[in-house]
Amino acid sequence: MPTVQVIGIEKSFLRTRALAGVTFDAGAGITGLLGPNGAGKTTLLRMMATVLAPDAGQLRLLGWDPGKADERLAIRRRLGYMPQEPGFHRNFTAFEFVDYVAILKEMVDRRARHDEVRRVLELVGLEGVAGRKIKALSGGMRRRVALGQALLGDPDLLVLDEPTAGLDPEQRLRFREIVSERSADRTVILSTHQTEDVAALCPRVVVMNDGRTLFDGTPAELTDVARGRVWLAPERAPEAHLSWRTGDGRHRNIGTAPSGADVIEPTVEDGYLLLVGSKAFDEEAA
Amino acid sequence: MTTTWHADTALLTRYASGELDQARAYSLEAHLLACDTCRAGVAAVSDHAQLDRMWAEVAEAVDAPRTGVVERGLVRLGVSDHVARLLAATPSLRLSWLGAEALALGFAVVAANSAITERGRSLGTFLFLVVAALLPVGGVAAAYGPGLDPTYEVSLASPMRSFGLLMTRAAAVLGTSTVLAGVAALSLPGMGWTTVAWLLPSLGLTLASLALATRVRPLVAAGSVTFAWAAVSVILAHASHDRFEIFRGGGQAAFLVIIALSTIVIARRREAFEQGVRE
Repeated sequence: MPTVQVIGIEKSFLRTRALAGVTFDAGAGITGLLGPNGAGKTTLLRMMATVLAPDAGQLRLLGWDPGKADERLAIRRRLGYMPQEPGFHRNFTAFEFVDYVAILKEMVDRRARHDEVRRVLELVGLEGVAGRKIKALSGGMRRRVALGQALLGDPDLLVLDEPTAGLDPEQRLRFREIVSERSADRTVILSTHQTEDVAALCPRVVVMNDGRTLFDGTPAELTDVARGRVWLAPERAPEAHLSWRTGDGRHRNIGTAPSGADVIEPTVEDGYLLLVGSKAFDEEAA
Repeated sequence: MTTTWHADTALLTRYASGELDQARAYSLEAHLLACDTCRAGVAAVSDHAQLDRMWAEVAEAVDAPRTGVVERGLVRLGVSDHVARLLAATPSLRLSWLGAEALALGFAVVAANSAITERGRSLGTFLFLVVAALLPVGGVAAAYGPGLDPTYEVSLASPMRSFGLLMTRAAAVLGTSTVLAGVAALSLPGMGWTTVAWLLPSLGLTLASLALATRVRPLVAAGSVTFAWAAVSVILAHASHDRFEIFRGGGQAAFLVIIALSTIVIARRREAFEQGVRE
């Protein structure tokens, strides 16, 4: 039973078309939205967080229509949202900020609320800096504060926009642990352009580019897109759509492999790069 | 250490339930420190749920973070702790914002008082009235909405109604602006009707801005109202033989109409504040 249904969603900002008819659905578990910058991921996630309305198409979240006032409120009561660029009241401490969001989430009883704030700060490993002002925290710590506020109340729908951006490898592992523990019976939608996040976390992946859905399947199926189309050669092959020099001096080529090529096992990243082409490649290389 | 006597169950029960008088309770506590058997007896007759609640209260009192000056002040004034936290997060209730408002009013008051001629004092007073009426418009626009509240989207995605949050903050901003302008008005030359002439325009412009914000972004609404107010007040001041025409009876009546109409629009279109970012 899908808990998120996206049907032909369109959205334009002035003359720029951000979404051009995106369709997919998602159920319990983690669904990764993968795509280069400008693919429309953030626009779609803001709609799933009920802060932006589509121009056309249908959206149903946890069985409700966010376009209707009472249903939107029901969604918001079961939603956790981490924006791509979370803003903070920088003079608040980490505790005060998460406490502030807990109040917005209708947690009025002071003691129960404080218990919940302590719980999520501990979850994201910030219990030791709870009393420190946000402006004194590092970028990675701030992102963990933002993740902590999204986890308040153990929401049924968790919408995370680029949650691993700015996290070091250890923090990224901790993030994966936190999110995967909560995904068994809850819906988690996260956007990323890190293919390793998708490979490590998401049983389901949706690839977007230019406001459209290019792929919808499992990471293994995304890997299969590049099966037989990745090979190593001493130099860039003319048949390759994409090619780069690897650490051992050989070129990793992606495209239509010539006969006799040294074809290797593809990765999720190969499948993704083949799908979105040079635009994503340029960004990955940057 | 060994003891030669033990408290009976009835005594321990009365102690655990807080019914023992102070002298006997102290005596028993001294004994409990040294007697394992009686301590076990107290544990057996104690209400554990009540102890858990008390322990949680102690932990909360010791562990709760110390709040900021503004929040503590609001709580002392009787504001509940969660409303105090919501107000403390209001950009236009920060000291820097209030300082800027005080500065703007201060300039107008100085202009009115330092003028040598009657015409100069009149011009300064007029400037004060125009500025005082505008103060809460900017403050309310900055209180909650896209652009100036850094947590706007997280707030919008939460179940707390944005309309309620906006109105709470708007009331606080209006209150602080009114106090500031009221205090500054006491310094105007001559304690006439001008001391309070900005009150209705101030409320009218703020509500008009909020009504417009149901259609466009709050900052655009505030900008439009500010421009319209500045243009109308200056044009009228030049066109009329009386510079204060807009602040007299006719103008005040017009603002009563604006207040009524804006209130109706805000009430009817309040759901617009919940719908999300208008882009």
